[in-house]
Amino acid sequence: MRRVPATAQHALAAEYVLGTLRGRARQRFETLVQDDRELANAVRAWEDWLTPLSERVQPVEPPERVWRAIEARISPRAAAAPAGFFSSLGFWRGLGMALTVALVALLVLFPSAPPAPDKATMVAVLATPEADPRMVIERHSGKLMVKMVKPWADMPNQDLELWAIPKDGKPRSLGLVAYNKDSEVRLPNLDEKLAGTVAFAISREPAGGSKNPDGPSGPVICSGPIARTA
Amino acid sequence: MTPETHQHLASLLARAGLGDRRAFEEVYRATHSKLFAVSLRIVRERQLAEEVLQDSFVAIWNHASDYAQAKSAPTTWMTAIVRNRSLDVLRRGAHEAEDVDEVMALNLVDESASPANDFDAGQDMHSVHECLKELEPDQRQSIALAFFQGLSHSELASHMRKPLGTVKTHIRRGLMKLKDCLVRHGTAEGRR
Repeated sequence: MRRVPATAQHALAAEYVLGTLRGRARQRFETLVQDDRELANAVRAWEDWLTPLSERVQPVEPPERVWRAIEARISPRAAAAPAGFFSSLGFWRGLGMALTVALVALLVLFPSAPPAPDKATMVAVLATPEADPRMVIERHSGKLMVKMVKPWADMPNQDLELWAIPKDGKPRSLGLVAYNKDSEVRLPNLDEKLAGTVAFAISREPAGGSKNPDGPSGPVICSGPIARTA
Repeated sequence: MTPETHQHLASLLARAGLGDRRAFEEVYRATHSKLFAVSLRIVRERQLAEEVLQDSFVAIWNHASDYAQAKSAPTTWMTAIVRNRSLDVLRRGAHEAEDVDEVMALNLVDESASPANDFDAGQDMHSVHECLKELEPDQRQSIALAFFQGLSHSELASHMRKPLGTVKTHIRRGLMKLKDCLVRHGTAEGRR
Protein backbone atom coordinates (compact mmCIF):
# COMPACT_ATOMS: atom_id res chain seq x y z
CA MET A 1 0.00 0.00 0.00
CA ARG A 2 1.17 3.48 -0.81
CA ARG A 3 2.61 5.20 2.22
CA VAL A 4 1.31 8.55 3.30
CA PRO A 5 4.01 11.21 2.78
CA ALA A 6 5.50 12.39 6.07
CA THR A 7 4.35 15.96 5.59
CA ALA A 8 0.75 14.91 5.19
CA GLN A 9 0.78 12.45 8.08
CA HIS A 10 0.25 14.87 10.89
CA ALA A 11 -2.31 16.89 8.99
CA LEU A 12 -4.39 13.79 8.25
CA ALA A 13 -3.93 12.28 11.71
CA ALA A 14 -4.95 15.58 13.30
CA GLU A 15 -8.17 15.85 11.29
CA TYR A 16 -8.92 12.19 11.93
CA VAL A 17 -8.64 12.65 15.69
CA LEU A 18 -10.44 16.00 15.59
CA GLY A 19 -13.25 14.30 13.69
CA THR A 20 -13.32 16.41 10.55
CA LEU A 21 -12.03 13.57 8.40
CA ARG A 22 -15.31 11.90 7.43
CA GLY A 23 -17.01 9.24 5.42
CA ARG A 24 -14.94 7.23 2.97
CA ALA A 25 -11.85 9.31 3.60
CA ARG A 26 -12.08 8.34 7.27
CA GLN A 27 -12.44 4.65 6.40
CA ARG A 28 -9.53 4.78 3.97
CA PHE A 29 -7.42 6.46 6.61
CA GLU A 30 -8.26 3.75 9.15
CA THR A 31 -7.10 1.12 6.68
CA LEU A 32 -3.85 3.00 6.09
CA VAL A 33 -3.17 3.33 9.81
CA GLN A 34 -3.24 -0.44 10.26
CA ASP A 35 -0.24 -0.89 7.99
CA ASP A 36 1.69 2.24 8.78
CA ARG A 37 3.39 2.49 12.15
CA GLU A 38 4.45 6.10 11.62
CA LEU A 39 0.91 7.09 10.85
CA ALA A 40 -0.37 5.17 13.87
CA ASN A 41 2.14 7.02 16.05
CA ALA A 42 0.93 10.34 14.67
CA VAL A 43 -2.67 9.38 15.52
CA ARG A 44 -1.64 8.46 19.03
CA ALA A 45 0.22 11.72 19.49
CA TRP A 46 -2.88 13.66 18.46
CA GLU A 47 -5.11 11.56 20.70
CA ASP A 48 -2.79 12.31 23.61
CA TRP A 49 -2.84 16.00 22.76
CA LEU A 50 -6.51 16.59 22.00
CA THR A 51 -8.37 14.07 24.17
CA PRO A 52 -7.66 15.92 27.44
CA LEU A 53 -10.04 18.60 26.10
CA SER A 54 -12.90 16.18 26.83
CA GLU A 55 -12.14 16.24 30.47
CA ARG A 56 -14.00 19.42 31.22
CA VAL A 57 -17.21 18.18 29.66
CA GLN A 58 -19.96 18.06 32.27
CA PRO A 59 -20.71 14.41 33.06
CA VAL A 60 -24.14 13.03 32.15
CA GLU A 61 -25.41 9.91 33.88
CA PRO A 62 -26.63 7.28 31.39
CA PRO A 63 -29.48 4.98 32.44
CA GLU A 64 -28.59 1.73 34.23
CA ARG A 65 -29.91 -0.31 31.29
CA VAL A 66 -26.72 0.55 29.40
CA TRP A 67 -24.61 -1.36 31.92
CA ARG A 68 -27.05 -4.29 31.93
CA ALA A 69 -26.82 -4.47 28.13
CA ILE A 70 -23.02 -4.39 28.26
CA GLU A 71 -22.97 -7.08 30.91
CA ALA A 72 -25.17 -9.29 28.77
CA ARG A 73 -22.92 -8.83 25.77
CA ILE A 74 -19.51 -9.47 27.26
CA SER A 75 -18.60 -13.09 26.92
CA PRO A 76 -17.43 -15.10 29.91
CA ARG A 77 -13.83 -15.25 28.75
CA ALA A 78 -12.62 -16.61 32.01
CA ALA A 79 -13.57 -16.54 35.63
CA ALA A 80 -14.52 -13.83 38.06
CA ALA A 81 -18.15 -14.18 37.15
CA PRO A 82 -20.68 -12.82 39.60
CA ALA A 83 -22.60 -15.34 41.69
CA GLY A 84 -25.53 -16.72 39.76
CA PHE A 85 -23.67 -16.21 36.56
CA PHE A 86 -22.71 -19.84 36.29
CA SER A 87 -26.34 -20.80 35.88
CA SER A 88 -26.82 -18.45 32.95
CA LEU A 89 -27.19 -19.69 29.42
CA GLY A 90 -24.34 -17.51 28.21
CA PHE A 91 -21.92 -19.11 30.59
CA TRP A 92 -22.76 -22.64 29.53
CA ARG A 93 -22.70 -21.71 25.89
CA GLY A 94 -19.26 -20.15 26.37
CA LEU A 95 -18.07 -23.11 28.36
CA GLY A 96 -19.39 -25.49 25.73
CA MET A 97 -17.32 -23.72 23.10
CA ALA A 98 -14.26 -23.68 25.32
CA LEU A 99 -14.67 -27.39 25.97
CA THR A 100 -14.95 -28.09 22.28
CA VAL A 101 -11.74 -26.17 21.63
CA ALA A 102 -10.11 -28.01 24.52
CA LEU A 103 -11.27 -31.40 23.32
CA VAL A 104 -10.11 -30.83 19.76
CA ALA A 105 -6.75 -29.61 21.05
CA LEU A 106 -6.38 -32.63 23.31
CA LEU A 107 -7.22 -35.00 20.48
CA VAL A 108 -4.70 -33.31 18.24
CA LEU A 109 -2.04 -33.23 20.91
CA PHE A 110 -2.50 -36.65 22.40
CA PRO A 111 -4.08 -38.88 19.75
CA SER A 112 -3.45 -41.98 21.80
CA ALA A 113 -2.33 -40.83 25.18
CA PRO A 114 -0.38 -43.60 26.90
CA PRO A 115 -1.64 -44.35 30.39
CA ALA A 116 0.43 -41.96 32.42
CA PRO A 117 1.49 -43.09 35.86
CA ASP A 118 0.90 -39.57 37.09
CA LYS A 119 -2.50 -38.65 35.76
CA ALA A 120 -3.43 -35.01 35.35
CA THR A 121 -6.14 -33.90 37.71
CA MET A 122 -6.87 -30.64 36.00
CA VAL A 123 -6.51 -29.54 32.38
CA ALA A 124 -6.89 -26.17 30.75
CA VAL A 125 -6.34 -25.32 27.11
CA LEU A 126 -5.25 -21.74 26.69
CA ALA A 127 -6.39 -20.14 23.46
CA THR A 128 -5.77 -16.73 21.96
CA PRO A 129 -8.67 -14.27 21.64
CA GLU A 130 -9.00 -15.68 18.11
CA ALA A 131 -9.65 -19.12 19.67
CA ASP A 132 -6.32 -20.49 18.49
CA PRO A 133 -5.15 -23.03 21.11
CA ARG A 134 -1.52 -22.32 22.06
CA MET A 135 -0.74 -23.92 25.44
CA VAL A 136 -2.09 -26.64 27.71
CA ILE A 137 -1.84 -26.53 31.50
CA GLU A 138 -2.05 -29.82 33.39
CA ARG A 139 -2.04 -30.24 37.11
CA HIS A 140 -0.11 -33.19 38.46
CA SER A 141 0.73 -33.91 42.04
CA GLY A 142 3.01 -31.14 43.26
CA LYS A 143 3.41 -29.37 39.94
CA LEU A 144 1.82 -27.85 36.89
CA MET A 145 2.96 -28.90 33.45
CA VAL A 146 2.85 -26.23 30.77
CA LYS A 147 2.78 -27.77 27.31
CA MET A 148 3.20 -26.01 24.02
CA VAL A 149 0.61 -26.46 21.33
CA LYS A 150 2.44 -23.99 19.15
CA PRO A 151 5.61 -22.17 20.33
CA TRP A 152 5.53 -18.38 20.37
CA ALA A 153 7.80 -16.27 18.20
CA ASP A 154 11.01 -15.02 19.85
CA MET A 155 10.36 -12.27 22.34
CA PRO A 156 13.63 -10.55 23.28
CA ASN A 157 13.62 -8.89 26.70
CA GLN A 158 10.19 -10.25 27.46
CA ASP A 159 8.88 -13.14 29.51
CA LEU A 160 5.64 -15.06 29.65
CA GLU A 161 3.91 -15.13 33.01
CA LEU A 162 1.33 -17.70 34.04
CA TRP A 163 -1.69 -16.59 36.11
CA ALA A 164 -4.26 -18.55 38.07
CA ILE A 165 -7.64 -16.86 37.86
CA PRO A 166 -9.75 -17.54 40.92
CA LYS A 167 -13.53 -17.39 40.83
CA ASP A 168 -13.33 -14.31 43.00
CA GLY A 169 -10.50 -11.93 43.56
CA LYS A 170 -7.27 -11.01 41.89
CA PRO A 171 -5.19 -13.13 39.52
CA ARG A 172 -2.34 -14.96 41.23
CA SER A 173 1.03 -15.18 39.57
CA LEU A 174 2.42 -18.68 39.11
CA GLY A 175 5.73 -17.41 37.80
CA LEU A 176 7.41 -17.30 34.42
CA VAL A 177 7.11 -20.01 31.77
CA ALA A 178 9.06 -20.73 28.59
CA TYR A 179 7.75 -19.28 25.33
CA ASN A 180 9.11 -21.96 23.01
CA LYS A 181 9.14 -25.24 24.93
CA ASP A 182 7.28 -27.17 27.61
CA SER A 183 7.94 -26.14 31.18
CA GLU A 184 6.95 -27.02 34.72
CA VAL A 185 5.77 -24.90 37.59
CA ARG A 186 6.76 -26.14 41.04
CA LEU A 187 5.85 -23.89 43.90
CA PRO A 188 5.83 -24.75 47.62
CA ASN A 189 2.43 -23.10 48.00
CA LEU A 190 0.96 -24.37 44.75
CA ASP A 191 -2.19 -25.84 46.32
CA GLU A 192 -2.85 -22.55 48.07
CA LYS A 193 -2.33 -20.57 44.86
CA LEU A 194 -4.66 -22.83 42.93
CA ALA A 195 -7.48 -22.79 45.48
CA GLY A 196 -10.66 -21.63 43.79
CA THR A 197 -8.95 -21.37 40.39
CA VAL A 198 -11.35 -21.62 37.47
CA ALA A 199 -9.08 -20.52 34.63
CA PHE A 200 -5.49 -19.84 33.60
CA ALA A 201 -4.01 -17.04 31.55
CA ILE A 202 -0.64 -16.12 30.07
CA SER A 203 0.53 -12.53 29.81
CA ARG A 204 3.53 -11.10 27.98
CA GLU A 205 5.62 -9.09 30.40
CA PRO A 206 8.88 -7.17 30.53
CA ALA A 207 11.81 -9.45 31.42
CA GLY A 208 11.34 -10.71 34.97
CA GLY A 209 7.56 -10.57 34.97
CA SER A 210 4.82 -8.14 35.96
CA LYS A 211 5.84 -5.48 38.45
CA ASN A 212 2.20 -5.26 39.47
CA PRO A 213 1.44 -7.77 42.24
CA ASP A 214 -2.30 -7.63 41.47
CA GLY A 215 -2.16 -8.79 37.90
CA PRO A 216 -0.46 -8.61 34.53
CA SER A 217 1.05 -5.39 33.30
CA GLY A 218 1.33 -6.62 29.71
CA PRO A 219 -1.23 -8.03 27.28
CA VAL A 220 -2.91 -11.36 27.97
CA ILE A 221 -2.05 -13.46 24.95
CA CYS A 222 -3.99 -16.62 25.76
CA SER A 223 -6.33 -17.91 28.42
CA GLY A 224 -8.77 -20.72 29.06
CA PRO A 225 -11.08 -22.22 31.65
CA ILE A 226 -10.29 -25.46 33.42
CA ALA A 227 -11.79 -28.04 31.13
CA ARG A 228 -11.65 -31.24 33.12
CA THR A 229 -11.04 -32.22 36.67
CA ALA A 230 -10.55 -35.75 37.80
CA MET B 1 -7.28 12.47 37.86
CA THR B 2 -4.05 11.76 39.67
CA PRO B 3 -1.30 9.44 38.43
CA GLU B 4 -2.41 7.00 41.17
CA THR B 5 -5.92 6.97 39.72
CA HIS B 6 -4.44 6.38 36.27
CA GLN B 7 -2.45 3.50 37.63
CA HIS B 8 -5.54 2.12 39.35
CA LEU B 9 -7.61 2.30 36.14
CA ALA B 10 -4.76 0.73 34.17
CA SER B 11 -4.57 -2.14 36.64
CA LEU B 12 -8.36 -2.60 36.52
CA LEU B 13 -8.14 -2.76 32.73
CA ALA B 14 -5.40 -5.38 32.98
CA ARG B 15 -7.64 -7.47 35.21
CA ALA B 16 -10.58 -6.96 32.87
CA GLY B 17 -8.28 -8.24 30.12
CA LEU B 18 -8.06 -11.47 32.07
CA GLY B 19 -11.81 -11.75 32.17
CA ASP B 20 -12.40 -10.12 35.56
CA ARG B 21 -15.89 -8.72 35.17
CA ARG B 22 -15.87 -6.98 38.53
CA ALA B 23 -12.75 -5.02 37.65
CA PHE B 24 -14.44 -4.14 34.38
CA GLU B 25 -17.56 -2.95 36.15
CA GLU B 26 -15.36 -0.71 38.28
CA VAL B 27 -13.85 0.75 35.10
CA TYR B 28 -17.38 1.40 33.83
CA ARG B 29 -18.54 3.03 37.06
CA ALA B 30 -15.49 5.31 37.15
CA THR B 31 -15.79 6.58 33.59
CA HIS B 32 -19.28 6.06 32.15
CA SER B 33 -20.86 9.44 32.90
CA LYS B 34 -17.97 11.38 31.40
CA LEU B 35 -17.84 9.15 28.34
CA PHE B 36 -21.62 9.30 27.91
CA ALA B 37 -21.41 13.10 27.94
CA VAL B 38 -18.63 13.05 25.34
CA SER B 39 -20.75 10.91 23.02
CA LEU B 40 -23.98 12.79 23.68
CA ARG B 41 -22.43 16.07 22.57
CA ILE B 42 -21.41 14.51 19.28
CA VAL B 43 -24.41 12.33 18.41
CA ARG B 44 -27.07 14.59 20.02
CA GLU B 45 -29.57 11.80 20.69
CA ARG B 46 -29.71 9.97 23.99
CA GLN B 47 -30.73 6.69 22.36
CA LEU B 48 -27.82 6.85 19.95
CA ALA B 49 -25.39 7.87 22.70
CA GLU B 50 -26.55 4.91 24.80
CA GLU B 51 -25.81 2.58 21.90
CA VAL B 52 -22.41 4.17 21.40
CA LEU B 53 -21.58 3.76 25.08
CA GLN B 54 -22.70 0.14 25.01
CA ASP B 55 -20.72 -0.72 21.86
CA SER B 56 -17.68 1.15 23.14
CA PHE B 57 -17.58 -0.70 26.45
CA VAL B 58 -18.01 -4.04 24.71
CA ALA B 59 -15.00 -3.05 22.56
CA ILE B 60 -13.09 -1.93 25.67
CA TRP B 61 -13.79 -5.32 27.27
CA ASN B 62 -12.70 -7.18 24.16
CA HIS B 63 -9.50 -5.15 23.83
CA ALA B 64 -8.72 -4.60 27.50
CA SER B 65 -5.78 -6.98 27.26
CA ASP B 66 -4.32 -4.86 24.43
CA TYR B 67 -4.50 -1.73 26.54
CA ALA B 68 -1.03 -2.17 28.03
CA GLN B 69 0.39 -1.72 24.54
CA ALA B 70 -1.57 1.46 23.91
CA LYS B 71 0.81 3.49 26.10
CA SER B 72 -1.69 6.33 26.44
CA ALA B 73 -3.51 7.23 29.65
CA PRO B 74 -6.44 4.83 30.23
CA THR B 75 -8.97 7.65 29.93
CA THR B 76 -7.40 8.81 26.68
CA TRP B 77 -7.57 5.30 25.27
CA MET B 78 -11.22 4.87 26.27
CA THR B 79 -12.27 8.36 25.20
CA ALA B 80 -10.73 7.79 21.77
CA ILE B 81 -12.80 4.60 21.40
CA VAL B 82 -15.99 6.45 22.35
CA ARG B 83 -15.24 9.42 20.09
CA ASN B 84 -14.47 7.19 17.12
CA ARG B 85 -17.63 5.18 17.62
CA SER B 86 -19.68 8.38 17.96
CA LEU B 87 -18.26 9.75 14.73
CA ASP B 88 -18.96 6.44 13.01
CA VAL B 89 -22.65 6.41 13.87
CA LEU B 90 -23.16 10.09 13.26
CA ARG B 91 -25.82 10.48 10.64
CA ARG B 92 -24.34 13.17 8.56
CA GLY B 93 -26.42 16.29 8.21
CA ALA B 94 -28.93 14.92 10.72
CA HIS B 95 -28.11 17.50 13.30
CA GLU B 96 -27.55 21.20 13.46
CA ALA B 97 -24.99 22.78 15.69
CA GLU B 98 -26.39 24.38 18.78
CA ASP B 99 -25.49 27.96 19.39
CA VAL B 100 -23.58 27.20 22.54
CA ASP B 101 -20.12 27.19 21.24
CA GLU B 102 -19.02 30.67 21.98
CA VAL B 103 -19.40 29.58 25.57
CA MET B 104 -17.61 26.32 24.95
CA ALA B 105 -14.75 28.08 23.20
CA LEU B 106 -14.41 30.37 26.19
CA ASN B 107 -14.54 27.46 28.60
CA LEU B 108 -11.58 25.98 26.83
CA VAL B 109 -9.42 28.70 28.24
CA ASP B 110 -11.28 29.08 31.51
CA GLU B 111 -8.64 28.83 34.16
CA SER B 112 -11.19 28.93 36.95
CA ALA B 113 -12.35 25.38 36.25
CA SER B 114 -11.32 23.30 39.20
CA PRO B 115 -8.65 20.75 38.31
CA ALA B 116 -9.85 18.59 41.18
CA ASN B 117 -13.04 17.88 39.25
CA ASP B 118 -11.31 17.07 36.05
CA PHE B 119 -11.52 13.65 34.53
CA ASP B 120 -7.88 13.61 33.68
CA ALA B 121 -6.18 16.78 34.77
CA GLY B 122 -2.57 16.40 33.89
CA GLN B 123 0.31 18.03 32.16
CA ASP B 124 -1.23 17.49 28.73
CA MET B 125 -4.43 19.17 29.69
CA HIS B 126 -2.62 22.23 30.90
CA SER B 127 -0.67 22.35 27.68
CA VAL B 128 -3.56 21.89 25.29
CA HIS B 129 -5.48 24.64 27.05
CA GLU B 130 -2.48 26.92 27.14
CA CYS B 131 -1.84 26.25 23.50
CA LEU B 132 -5.42 26.91 22.43
CA LYS B 133 -5.01 30.41 23.81
CA GLU B 134 -2.36 31.05 21.19
CA LEU B 135 -4.78 30.40 18.32
CA GLU B 136 -6.84 33.03 16.59
CA PRO B 137 -10.48 33.10 17.75
CA ASP B 138 -11.83 31.65 14.47
CA GLN B 139 -9.31 28.83 14.59
CA ARG B 140 -10.08 28.10 18.21
CA GLN B 141 -13.82 28.13 17.65
CA SER B 142 -13.77 25.86 14.63
CA ILE B 143 -11.53 23.35 16.41
CA ALA B 144 -13.77 23.39 19.48
CA LEU B 145 -16.94 22.93 17.40
CA ALA B 146 -15.43 20.03 15.49
CA PHE B 147 -14.03 18.35 18.59
CA PHE B 148 -16.96 18.70 20.98
CA GLN B 149 -19.94 18.73 18.63
CA GLY B 150 -18.57 16.49 15.92
CA LEU B 151 -19.20 19.03 13.18
CA SER B 152 -17.90 18.32 9.70
CA HIS B 153 -16.20 20.94 7.53
CA SER B 154 -19.45 21.79 5.75
CA GLU B 155 -21.45 21.90 8.98
CA LEU B 156 -18.81 24.22 10.39
CA ALA B 157 -19.06 26.42 7.32
CA SER B 158 -22.81 26.83 7.61
CA HIS B 159 -22.67 27.29 11.37
CA MET B 160 -19.95 29.91 11.19
CA ARG B 161 -21.35 31.44 7.99
CA LYS B 162 -18.02 31.21 6.26
CA PRO B 163 -16.97 29.72 2.94
CA LEU B 164 -15.97 26.04 3.15
CA GLY B 165 -12.39 26.78 2.06
CA THR B 166 -11.97 29.38 4.79
CA VAL B 167 -13.16 26.98 7.47
CA LYS B 168 -10.85 24.24 6.23
CA THR B 169 -7.97 26.70 6.41
CA HIS B 170 -8.89 27.71 9.97
CA ILE B 171 -8.85 24.08 11.02
CA ARG B 172 -5.67 23.15 9.22
CA ARG B 173 -3.69 26.17 10.35
CA GLY B 174 -5.13 26.01 13.85
CA LEU B 175 -4.11 22.38 14.24
CA MET B 176 -0.60 22.96 12.98
CA LYS B 177 -0.17 25.93 15.30
CA LEU B 178 -1.46 23.78 18.13
CA LYS B 179 1.04 21.09 17.21
CA ASP B 180 3.95 23.54 17.20
CA CYS B 181 2.92 24.77 20.62
CA LEU B 182 2.40 21.28 22.08
CA VAL B 183 5.75 20.07 20.76
CA ARG B 184 7.36 23.16 22.23
CA HIS B 185 5.82 22.27 25.60
CA GLY B 186 7.21 18.77 25.17
CA THR B 187 4.07 16.85 26.06
CA ALA B 188 3.07 13.66 24.33
CA GLU B 189 5.93 13.38 21.87
CA GLY B 190 8.57 14.04 24.47
CA ARG B 191 7.03 11.47 26.78
CA ARG B 192 7.47 8.51 24.51
